[in-house]
Amino acid sequence: MNNIRTLLKLEFKDKFSKFSASNKNAYLKVIGSLIMYAAVVYGIFLVSRIFFQMFDKADMGYESLVLIFTVLLIFLCFTGVSSTVKVLFYKGDNEILMRYPVKGEEIFISKTLFLIINQIMITAVIVAPLLVAYSEVMELGSDFIRVIPIAIMFLVLIPFFVSNIFAIPIMHLTNRIRNKFGLIIIGLTIGITLLFAVYMFLFNKMVTFIGDKEFSVFDEGFVTIVKDVCKYLIPTKYFADILVGKELYIAYPVLIMILGITLCGTILVVMELYPKTLLKNVETEGSAFKHVTKNRVRPIFFTLLHKEFLQVFRSVNYSFQYFVLACAMPVMVYFCNSIAMQLGKNQIGEQISVGMTMLVMLIFATVISSFSATSVSREGDCFYHTKVAPVSIELQLFVKFTMYFIVSFLANIICVVVLIYAGLMETGTALWLFLIVELICIGLILRSMRYDVKKPYFNLSGEGEVVNNNVNTTRSVGLGFGISLIEGMLGMILGYIMDFATLQIVCSAIAVVFFLYALLSYCIGLRKTYNKIAK
Amino acid sequence: MLEISHLYKKYLNSERFSVEDLSISLKPGEIFGFLGQNGAGKSTTIKCLTGIYPFNSGTITICGHDIAKDPINAKLNMGYVPDNHSAYEKLTGREYVNYTADLYKVSKRDREERFNKYVSQFKLTKAIDMQIKSYSHGMKQKICIIAALIHNPKLWVLDEPMMGLDHQSMLEILKRMKDHVDEGNTVFFSSHNLDLVAKICDRVAIVKDGKLQCVIDLHVKGNKETLEQTFISITATEQDIINTANDTGEFKLHLGV
Repeated sequence: MNNIRTLLKLEFKDKFSKFSASNKNAYLKVIGSLIMYAAVVYGIFLVSRIFFQMFDKADMGYESLVLIFTVLLIFLCFTGVSSTVKVLFYKGDNEILMRYPVKGEEIFISKTLFLIINQIMITAVIVAPLLVAYSEVMELGSDFIRVIPIAIMFLVLIPFFVSNIFAIPIMHLTNRIRNKFGLIIIGLTIGITLLFAVYMFLFNKMVTFIGDKEFSVFDEGFVTIVKDVCKYLIPTKYFADILVGKELYIAYPVLIMILGITLCGTILVVMELYPKTLLKNVETEGSAFKHVTKNRVRPIFFTLLHKEFLQVFRSVNYSFQYFVLACAMPVMVYFCNSIAMQLGKNQIGEQISVGMTMLVMLIFATVISSFSATSVSREGDCFYHTKVAPVSIELQLFVKFTMYFIVSFLANIICVVVLIYAGLMETGTALWLFLIVELICIGLILRSMRYDVKKPYFNLSGEGEVVNNNVNTTRSVGLGFGISLIEGMLGMILGYIMDFATLQIVCSAIAVVFFLYALLSYCIGLRKTYNKIAK
Repeated sequence: MLEISHLYKKYLNSERFSVEDLSISLKPGEIFGFLGQNGAGKSTTIKCLTGIYPFNSGTITICGHDIAKDPINAKLNMGYVPDNHSAYEKLTGREYVNYTADLYKVSKRDREERFNKYVSQFKLTKAIDMQIKSYSHGMKQKICIIAALIHNPKLWVLDEPMMGLDHQSMLEILKRMKDHVDEGNTVFFSSHNLDLVAKICDRVAIVKDGKLQCVIDLHVKGNKETLEQTFISITATEQDIINTANDTGEFKLHLGV
């Protein structure tokens, strides 16, 4: 028991290692975080209130609760598997812990407790405001509020035990497919696009509902389908049942039974497989792959580009941050744009549509371009290569720029083609828009790269990847959002109060000035600054 | 081959020079050892001469090319093996060596020939098409060595190359060093292993607190045998001398002398 307590303490110390009681700034950060969490909780409360009102208007209040629990349960199972694999198997401290005179079971229990405590806190923060909003909309009394902790406990424990059962098989499976990078990128792109499409559908409905709360935004056919589906959403419908006090004689026994079965499954899996898996260290075994090639001679430019591409392509993390978002960008722009256009046409006027499209495209371009803010940091331990190689720093950085440029260029051109073919914009206007967005994209890439040249952060994970986005990424995103807002808002305002020609002149001028500023600030003193980097 | 003249290097925010007025000259066909305690300035010197660190003053020329003024040509004549044996781990061994060969503009014929020779010499044939992240410490060190040698550099620089290697791997690297200088090239390496240095080097330099203390020709009779003694006498700090004296005193007391 003492060992478990010590190990658990270790986990928490590790989690809060950045907090120092003697540091005043640490307290400020904690207060800042608490304010942020409070804002998030309030945000969840507000959004979910509209969501429930919208469903209530269509007489689907109960169904909305079932749907929410279904989504939460699926989400928690996925994140549960991910965090179980991360904390129980991939975390570097396993190797250290296994050297201590502690049992594999003790390590498992301490880590499990750590995960559960974490999960309860996160789930409570997300689910409590959501359910409070539900009780307010449905005018439910204190009975409902009193059952919320029970529902949260079920919601935490069932996915937790399920994810424990599936963690090891899924880990083996992911190890088998983790090197099928093309497949992963396609899968992730489809997943992200679908998720975004569902999100945009609901968002669209909510915006329409806010505009006119008197009528339901769902047609009868949709309502019938949702009601039918919800009847069969087992076991998630029982979560809703215990909250609204419906068929409690079935809901509680079923949930308790599921809890018991999954707990037994977890115990069996842990006893049989956990210590073995730890010792076998499956993550390293399965993560490397064999790729038989011939010795090939490439020109310097292309060999650098090839290396840069492989470094990103062979990392699920980087591929997701970069290629997947770039692939999904046209779809996102299409959805956002059609909704924005609809809103603009209905409420303000068609004149703002170009500015709005520009804003949407630039925001997505910002997210994609921000990847270039880790161009030097991602070199990590291999940074010395860039200094030792008989190739100028300018050329090496130009190659990195080329890769970012190609991806942003393709994403932007596809966006524009989609807009033209969907009839959302005229060809001439779309091409002009492409030039403006591309010019700003190049400027953003150059600025982001320069941020990273000035102060790279080489703290990488065991897999040699940037663990968290660094300050440079934040600065890059901030700059991108800033310029997007300026261009987009000006585009909308000028389009509304003046004419299209004025809009074109002003937005083009801003884009050119930003591009020139980014280009100059990138070039001036580049080599000197790069040479100062000493890892 | 390598001329370092009055090199000064101070890190940002540091009050003292990490390398101070260091001058050495390496001849073709010799293995030159670079000795010093931890923090003496060995790695800093190596990082300056390979172009990784900028330096405050002095000159470094490699085969007549100034590393500060003509870095590309200077680097083309040099192969470097870092102390942390880091390589692009997502690439396979072959991809990594080819990447390096492309940067050093190695022709296809030379590349094939050297690649096959080194891969078989370092016994990496089975692992060469595996991702580097699956390699062991020794294998990573070997792939770094192959990448450093693929362009047959006139100057081969190694920063503590034997650290953490098994005996067999050490012998393979030593053999490669000897073969390399037999072809008229130069090897410059830092090490803490005095026995190994005495066995293989033609000359050694000892640095302390960033300053060159002496250059010893190991072909001069007696120098090899006394290298360890010389190294200790040069690099020992006052505290080391006190500790040694105390230990000896306690030992004598224990024996009742």
